[in-house]
Amino acid sequence: MNIDITGARIFYTFPFDFPILGKFSITETLVVSWIVMAVITGLCIWLTRDLKVENISKRQAFAEMLVETANNFVVGNAGEKFRGLVPFVAALFATSVFSNLISLLGLRSPTADLSTEAAWAGLVFVMITHQKIKTSGIGGYLKGYTEPIFIMTPFNVLSELATPISLACRHFGNILSGIVINALIYGSLAAASAALFRLIPGAVGEILSHIPVLSVGVPAVLSVYFDWFTGVMQAFIFCMLTIMYLANAAEE
Amino acid sequence: MKVQDLVTLVPWTIVAQLCNLFIQLLLIKRFLFKPIGEILEKRRQKADEQIREAEEAKAQAQAMKESYEKDMAEARQKAGEILATAQKNAADQSERMLQEAAGEAAAIRARAQSEVAQERRKAVNEAKNEIGGIAMEIAGKVIEREISEEDHRKLIEEFIENVGEAS
Repeated sequence: MNIDITGARIFYTFPFDFPILGKFSITETLVVSWIVMAVITGLCIWLTRDLKVENISKRQAFAEMLVETANNFVVGNAGEKFRGLVPFVAALFATSVFSNLISLLGLRSPTADLSTEAAWAGLVFVMITHQKIKTSGIGGYLKGYTEPIFIMTPFNVLSELATPISLACRHFGNILSGIVINALIYGSLAAASAALFRLIPGAVGEILSHIPVLSVGVPAVLSVYFDWFTGVMQAFIFCMLTIMYLANAAEE
Repeated sequence: MKVQDLVTLVPWTIVAQLCNLFIQLLLIKRFLFKPIGEILEKRRQKADEQIREAEEAKAQAQAMKESYEKDMAEARQKAGEILATAQKNAADQSERMLQEAAGEAAAIRARAQSEVAQERRKAVNEAKNEIGGIAMEIAGKVIEREISEEDHRKLIEEFIENVGEAS
């Protein structure tokens, strides 16, 4: 039994070397991200086709429900002044969910690349800091690090930096663990069915042992948890924490 | 094909994913939130308009009802007036008729009375004449002589006067 779990594949690397950033590569992560974006945008366009004021279709009702849910989610958790944040949170959630669930189609999730989550968490961290400075001013923001006493400053800085790191690693870890466990299950089920059919003597057993019969069915059940539940849950948690951090930052 | 490490941070991927998120944000804003927001706003406006129209219609109906009630009250008053006038006219007319009838009856009675009086007078005169004649005859027979016409008449007159007084 030989299981190989690797990072995203690199399709093409441009030969130009940029300072700090290094060489730009078209990776599986980026390609699948573009597919996810196309899917989301296509879905939006399809949902909002021939909108009507009254006597609406089920499709339009669903689209309106999505918008209302996003509004309620953000405004209900963070307050009226974050209404402008609704499209951002919706975009973040949609990208996250579709990135997580696209693994069901056999593609590699863009969220199985820590760079993706790092980008999102970094952006959220910038937004939180911006909100904090906007709320209490640059002096108040810096002074916040010395509270309750000056000696706590290093710990405060650490906990501040822990926010984006934990945000990114939580999401990435859950998705990666799903991939690892999936690979382990497929590998072990293939090995188990091979061992089972090798009990049949002769050429028949030899041929059958190459077909992972046990892989049918069992992974589907497990994928309900590792793909569907974790995928939706992590997207939800990521957005929820984003809103919560921002709402906290906006408090005086 | 080359693969990247399982857990790694690639600066370019971070930048690209940031750009992707921004593009996704713009796309979702343009293709989901904008049309849906517009349609919700339109529906809200329409609902407001309908409520306003309903209120206007209600006010109109109220005004119509008021004017109708006013008209009705006026009509009722007018009908009452007409009825009162008619009753008064009828009463007047009957009064007049009664008076006329009474007047007529009185005239008839007066005429009858005057006729009766005339008849009586006539009868009295006739009786006077007859009594005069009879008295003269009797007197002629009694006296058996012809007294002068003038004395005679004077005598009769006297007699009648006496009779009249006696009767």
